[in-house]
Amino acid sequence: MASSIQINANKTCLIVDDSKMIRRVASRILRELKFEPSEAGDGREAMELCKAKMPDAILLDWNMPIMDGLSFLKTLRGVEGGAKPVVLFCTAERDVIKIAEALDAGADEYIMKPFDSDILGSKLSEVGLLDQAHL
Amino acid sequence: MSGDLSLKPSYYEALKRLTIELVGVKLGADHTFLVETRLSALARKEGFEDLPQMIDELFSRGQTRLAIHVVTSLLERATRFFEDRPGYEALGDIILPDLHPLYRGGTLRIMSYGCSSGQEIYSAAILVDTLADLFPNMDIELTGVDYPSEALDRARAGRFTHFEVQRGLPIRHLIKYFDRDGEDWVVKQSLREKITFLDHNLLADIGELGTFQVVMFRGHLGQFTTPAKARILRSLGNLVSANGYLMLGSHENLDDTNFWFKAQAAAPGCYKKRTKQGLIAEPETEPETGTEIEEFPKQPFVPMEYKGSKTV
Repeated sequence: MASSIQINANKTCLIVDDSKMIRRVASRILRELKFEPSEAGDGREAMELCKAKMPDAILLDWNMPIMDGLSFLKTLRGVEGGAKPVVLFCTAERDVIKIAEALDAGADEYIMKPFDSDILGSKLSEVGLLDQAHL
Repeated sequence: MSGDLSLKPSYYEALKRLTIELVGVKLGADHTFLVETRLSALARKEGFEDLPQMIDELFSRGQTRLAIHVVTSLLERATRFFEDRPGYEALGDIILPDLHPLYRGGTLRIMSYGCSSGQEIYSAAILVDTLADLFPNMDIELTGVDYPSEALDRARAGRFTHFEVQRGLPIRHLIKYFDRDGEDWVVKQSLREKITFLDHNLLADIGELGTFQVVMFRGHLGQFTTPAKARILRSLGNLVSANGYLMLGSHENLDDTNFWFKAQAAAPGCYKKRTKQGLIAEPETEPETGTEIEEFPKQPFVPMEYKGSKTV
């Protein structure tokens, strides 16, 4: 089995954000936390990547052109295998109503920008993707 | 490196001595940096021109209130919500189920000893609130004590930054128990009113505090000098009620020979108060002194050689 050589493979995390800078920063932090990051610039691009292969986790911006984070999440949760990825919203939206809306749509955790590696690590351990010992 | 420092090197030694004498804690080498950053901020807040002026004032007049503020701002650690999570699991899965039959119909008291900016006791309050249905007919009172300090003031206010609320606190707890206020998040009144915060000298006798069924003292033990540790353990021995628990950090241990507490194998770092029969010897219950917060040593920490107002 080809997959047997990947038993210890790092967990994958798809970063969905229209800001290249944010994607770069998040990628760097995720690599430090032993994740294998991939990137998408909007919800539609992310959806195509997910349909090809579901990641373990998705770091999801809210406001993006073409397809925003919330629409992406609702679509994702409706497709086959779309329940599997752990979704962490990662957005500048701090309104409690918005946060609740994201959770209702199926988000597992929620990061308010700006964030740092400590916050990202803490949230990943919150959803069980990272051992607390990493922190 | 010393070229960047605004204080005479001898002041660092004096601050180290002050910290040992006042709160029984040894400053590590890394505190040189904290002296500059935190104490400069404190100096501004206290209305001094700069850090050297505040330190001169401190060592020339030996003002107790200022001394405590200096020491507590040096010692404040970055704490996070639900830090050292196994402890909270033990509280919910082992300690509360064990105590509930005994305190059903009454009140169970939980204390955070050395509560700093409050994350620990607020986390305990959140945990207890989420588990309330499992432990019916039992009121829970929560108390946080620490030296009078900026951190304790922040705990009282229940106000946390954007960054603090994202470290260790699940988002569902954030939106349930906090209100957003500009950049900050403030603990909702309904949760805040369950917690009492009190000024207390951690090295002093328990005084009016009374006894508690759960005393959280997590992650502190290692920083104290041996004599200070002995005093604190005696205070904790008096503070924890019969059948009660002392919670240390999940990686911390008490010496096996301690009179007061018995380790709980199922819950690392958790100790149950020994019953009288189980005691190796009767512990001393007499307080060492009647030390109250107002009665901090007034003079001994003022090193004579630093009197005067010369600055570098």
